[in-house]
Amino acid sequence: MKQILLITDGCSNIGPSPVMAAAHALQEGITVNVIGVLDYGTIGELGELEIREIAKAGGGLHQIVGTSQLARTMQMMTRKTVVQTIQQAVNKEIRQILGGGSLTELPPEKRAQVVEVVDELSETSPLQVALVIDASASMKPKLAAVEEAIRDLMLSLKARAGTSRLSVYHFPGRGHGEDLVKDVDWTENLDGVRGLFGRLQMKGATPTGPALLKVIDEYRCGTLEHNQSWRELPGQEEGMLGDYVV
Amino acid sequence: MTTSSETVCPPGTVITGKWQKNQYIVERLLGRGANGSVYLVYRRGHPDRYALKVGYDTLELQSEVNILRALNRQLPSSYFIEADDYKSVSGEAAFYVMRYVEGVQLHQFIRARGREWLGLVGLKLLERLSSLHSLGYIFGDLKPENVMVSPYGSVELIDYGGVSAPGRSVKQFTEWYDRGYWNAGSRTGDEAYDLFSFAVMCIQLLDEESLRGASAQLPQIRSVQDLEAVLRKSSQLKPYAAWLGRALGGGFANSREALNAWKKGVYARAVPRKRNKTPRWLQRSFFLSIVFAGAALYLFLKT
Repeated sequence: MKQILLITDGCSNIGPSPVMAAAHALQEGITVNVIGVLDYGTIGELGELEIREIAKAGGGLHQIVGTSQLARTMQMMTRKTVVQTIQQAVNKEIRQILGGGSLTELPPEKRAQVVEVVDELSETSPLQVALVIDASASMKPKLAAVEEAIRDLMLSLKARAGTSRLSVYHFPGRGHGEDLVKDVDWTENLDGVRGLFGRLQMKGATPTGPALLKVIDEYRCGTLEHNQSWRELPGQEEGMLGDYVV
Repeated sequence: MTTSSETVCPPGTVITGKWQKNQYIVERLLGRGANGSVYLVYRRGHPDRYALKVGYDTLELQSEVNILRALNRQLPSSYFIEADDYKSVSGEAAFYVMRYVEGVQLHQFIRARGREWLGLVGLKLLERLSSLHSLGYIFGDLKPENVMVSPYGSVELIDYGGVSAPGRSVKQFTEWYDRGYWNAGSRTGDEAYDLFSFAVMCIQLLDEESLRGASAQLPQIRSVQDLEAVLRKSSQLKPYAAWLGRALGGGFANSREALNAWKKGVYARAVPRKRNKTPRWLQRSFFLSIVFAGAALYLFLKT
């Protein structure tokens, strides 16, 4: 299961539409959840609309919360999305077996069995969550809370029986045209990682769309990672190195 | 796929089961939980009252029903009555019916009746937890709101939405009572997880202010040591400090051991310690009275 969790506080203002990017993600089998973080003022009608649209296009959930509820919301969304993804897959199977019908149409005993399977799979299936953090100027005071919430999410994910990996990105980058910066690569543990976000340069631009597209790309590279790990197999590695040493 | 119904059923609403066809009439709303609303209802043609939970999400509610059914098979007193669906204004919703537990929430009980009740109520609650653990379940979301206490201190756990098997992730938790929140361990369900929540709950019931102070720490440096410091400082917590410290540190092998330790503590406190030393003021006044008596006798004999 693959998820993107976008944390933002306003509208994108540069590059391709984030809604389109989210639709792409869903096409690739990645669910996109969006959290709008807001402590003072409002996100604005436009910002709210965009948040809702991104989540809809990405097949995920959205919510606007204050920093104090951030950790809880992230945990709840990730969990719900896992269950939903499993449920959708299971529902497909049910429809194939029973020829139509959703959960409420199943008689209670059958439903109990289905839900048992969903619960089991939700707990044990491998999960990947890419956190994409809007680090534009207005987000700066909230980043400490965001980091704390990410660590808290890792703690929840670690408790799962299935393997769970997390990666962290922020946008925009430092240089001109750099849309996305990888802060933490896929990991099952954040304990050793100090300060998730390196030096940040706060700029006004919010390239949400381009950033999402880059993360989808990173997910694709994730499949390349398999090749890497294959390359790193003992024996193989030496051979590869040999090639380069010359 | 998932039907959600967050609309409120006004008193007098008739809820008719789709499968079993039983009819329940809503008397009033009892409360709203993380995944459903609970109503006080009575069954048409029966005098008994029940609690009926309408789920916000069919799947989540079913997950809870599965656990309640499993518990019902193993527990002598039946808590769970039946599960069904009904057609509400906003679509089809799932519900289940359980025994109605009369009483008040734990924190209200302690506030109304006094802190000295904690020994007994805590004992009964630990008994409940320990029997749940012995059946192979972890409660998860233990907090005062999920513990109902009857007028004479018998307790009942409500809201089984957070129950999971040991070794699995805790499904539902609340910040203060969560071991992860205090950087004191994982969110994987085990008996120690429930005992940790129980300990935080006791601290809250006895000295909420200190707990609030400890939780105001920056999240990255918040730790179980802050709670231990509260235990050392607070005078209200003193009688329980040793037990609570052990529970916070995961020092009990299982909840049975924790229960036994609590029991010992409760009865040690209930029976006042024997005064093996006579107070000094009494010794002094006794002494003084002898002197007076001697003086009086002397004067009497002299005259």
